[in-house]
Amino acid sequence: MASRTLTGTGATPRAGVGTVVWYDPEVTLPEADEPVDAAAERDRFADAVETARAELEQERDATAERVGEEEAAIFDAHIQFLEDPTIADAVEASIDDGHAAARAVDDAFGEHIEQFEGMDGRMAERADDLRDVRDRLLRLLTGGDRVNLADLPEGSVVLAERLTPSETAQLDPETVAGFATVTGGRTSHAAIFARSLALPAVVGVGAALNDVADGTEVVVDGDSGELLVEPDEDEREAARADEGADVVAAPVATSDGRDIEVAANVGRPEELEPAADRGADGVGLYRTEFLFLDRDSPPGEDEQYEAIRDALNTFPDGRVVVRTLDIGGDKQVPYLDLPDEANPFLGERGIRRSLGPDSELFATQLRALLRAGANGAGELNVMFPLVATVEELEAAIAAVDDAAADLDDRGVDYERPSLGVMVETPSAVFMAEAFAERVDFLSIGTNDLTQYVMAADRENERTGDLHDPTHPGVVRAIARTVEGAHEHDAWVGMCGEMAGDPAVTELLVGLGLDELSMSAVTIPDVKAAVRETEYSAARERADSARRVATRSELHDTLQ
Amino acid sequence: MSDERVVEIVPAAGLHARPAALFVETVTDHDADVEVGPPEGDLVPAKSMIAVTSLGVGQGDELRLVADGPEAGTVLDELERILTTPEDELEA
Repeated sequence: MASRTLTGTGATPRAGVGTVVWYDPEVTLPEADEPVDAAAERDRFADAVETARAELEQERDATAERVGEEEAAIFDAHIQFLEDPTIADAVEASIDDGHAAARAVDDAFGEHIEQFEGMDGRMAERADDLRDVRDRLLRLLTGGDRVNLADLPEGSVVLAERLTPSETAQLDPETVAGFATVTGGRTSHAAIFARSLALPAVVGVGAALNDVADGTEVVVDGDSGELLVEPDEDEREAARADEGADVVAAPVATSDGRDIEVAANVGRPEELEPAADRGADGVGLYRTEFLFLDRDSPPGEDEQYEAIRDALNTFPDGRVVVRTLDIGGDKQVPYLDLPDEANPFLGERGIRRSLGPDSELFATQLRALLRAGANGAGELNVMFPLVATVEELEAAIAAVDDAAADLDDRGVDYERPSLGVMVETPSAVFMAEAFAERVDFLSIGTNDLTQYVMAADRENERTGDLHDPTHPGVVRAIARTVEGAHEHDAWVGMCGEMAGDPAVTELLVGLGLDELSMSAVTIPDVKAAVRETEYSAARERADSARRVATRSELHDTLQ
Repeated sequence: MSDERVVEIVPAAGLHARPAALFVETVTDHDADVEVGPPEGDLVPAKSMIAVTSLGVGQGDELRLVADGPEAGTVLDELERILTTPEDELEA
C-alpha cells in the first residue's frame, strides 16, 4: 500500500510511475519579523529585475523565432509589468519599512492581482500575467532554480500548481512519466493536451499536493484520478503494466463485420502526427478555435487554409471533420470583444456568433476551408457547432454558397466539402431528421449535449454527478439522434469524451453510431473494443439500454 | 511645455498586450510626464503598465492623452501613431 493516496481528476486514462520533480516550487517567503538590511534588499530587488528582464527578452526572441511574433508579444507585456514604477515604488517603500525584498514583491503584486481578478474575462487574464511576473521575481529572490521542462531526467513526474498549454507542450512523453497539478479540471487545456500526448496526468489534486516532496516516488493514475505517494512494488508493477492496447493502424470492424470509423479529436497542428501514430482513421473533430486563441488578432484566410490543408495531408486516405469557429461559453477571445452575458453557455456562442457578429470571420474561414478541400489529400467535411434550428442551418449552408461564389469570382480553386451538424442542443436531438435531410452527417458532442440535456454545468463540482452521459436521458437522446440521421441516410458520429471510453464502446456501436472520435490516447483501446464487439448482440443490448429508467440499471446492461 | 489630445483606438485588441507594451515603453523613452484616461474621467500615469491596462480600453474607445515636458509634442505624436495603427502594421 502507498503511504498516502491523493485524489484529483484523471486527465488521461493511463498510469505512470516515476520520481517527483517540482516545477516552480512553492516559494518560502522570509519571516515577516526577520531583520533585514534595507540597502542590500534594494540591491537584490534591482538585480532580480535586471535578470528577469534578460530572461524575458531571451524567451521573447526564442518564442518569436519558434512560434511567431504574435505569440511573443506577451513577453513584451511582461517586461512592462516587470518595470512598472508603481511596483518598484511599492517594493522600495516596503523594504524601507523593514521587509525583505521577496515579501515586498509578494505584497506589491498581490494588491494588483486581486484588483484584476475582480474584473471580467479578458481583464482577469492580466492577473495571470502579473502572477507570472511576480513568481519569476520571487524565484530569483529566493534562489529557487527553475526546472527546464524540455530536459527532464527519464522517469520524471512533474508536479506543479498549474501548467499552461505551452508548458505542457514542452513535456516529452518519451521521458516524462506523467504530471499532477494542484488546480485545473478535466477540460482544462493542459488536460486536453496531456491526452493528445498520451501523458498520464491527474489535475485538481488540491493543496495536499504541495506536501509531496521533490524526489518522492509516485504513481500517477489517470484512470482513477489518484496520485499514490511511495507506492509499494505491486502498485508500481500495475502502473508499469498499464501500457494500454496495441496500436492498430488499419480501420476496424466488429467481429460480425460492421465498419466503425475511429478518429481523433484534434485542437492543434502538433497533435496531428501523434493522432496518426496512435492509429486514427482520420479526424472526427478539428477544433478550429485554437487557431484563434492566444493571439492579438484573427488568423487570415491563407493561414487557416494552410492549417486545414496540413490536416488533410496527414490523413490522405481518411476523413477530416472540421468544426467551424466555436467561440463563446467558456472560450474567450480578447480581440473579438465578446459580450458579458449572465448565462454565456445559453448565450451567443457557436453558430450564433458566426451568423451574427462574427459573420466576416465565418466567411473568411469558409473560403479557407473550401480552398483546402481542393488542395489537401484527405476528404474534407465541415460541421457547424451549436445549431438549434433549421433556419440557422440553412443560413450556414447559404454562407458556404456565398464563399464558393466569392472564390469563383476570384478564379481560385476550391471544392465544396460534405456538410454536417453538431448535435449538442436538445432541439437538435428533436430536429435530427430535419437536419439529416439537409446535410451529409451529424456528430454528437456529448460534453455539451449532456450539459444541456441534464441542465448541469460541466465545470461545477456540485453538479458533476448529473453531468454523466450514461444517464438514461442522455442515452435516449443519442439513440433518437442516430435514428433521425439514418432515416435520411446521413452518417452519425460522436466526438465527446464518451466516444473515447472503451467501457461504452459496445453500447455506442449497438446504438448504431458509424464513427467515434476521441483524444488520440484512447484510440487503440476503442479500436480493440470495437473488434471484440459483436454488432448483432450489441444491438440487442443497446435496445434494452435505451429502455431502462435509472443510471444503475444502465450500468448493469454494460457489464 | 504641455500638450493634450483625444485619440480613438484602432488596434483590435485595444490597449492590451503588444500595443500596451509599446505604448508604455514609448512613454518611458521620452522626457515628458504623460497621463492617460477616458475623455471625461480620471487620468492615470501612462508609464505604469498596470494603470494603463486597468483602463480596460477596447477598439473604438476614445482616450485622452495629456503630456507635460520638453518632449510633450513628440511623445504625443508617437503615442497617437501607436493607438491608431492596426497591430499587424505596428513596427516595434
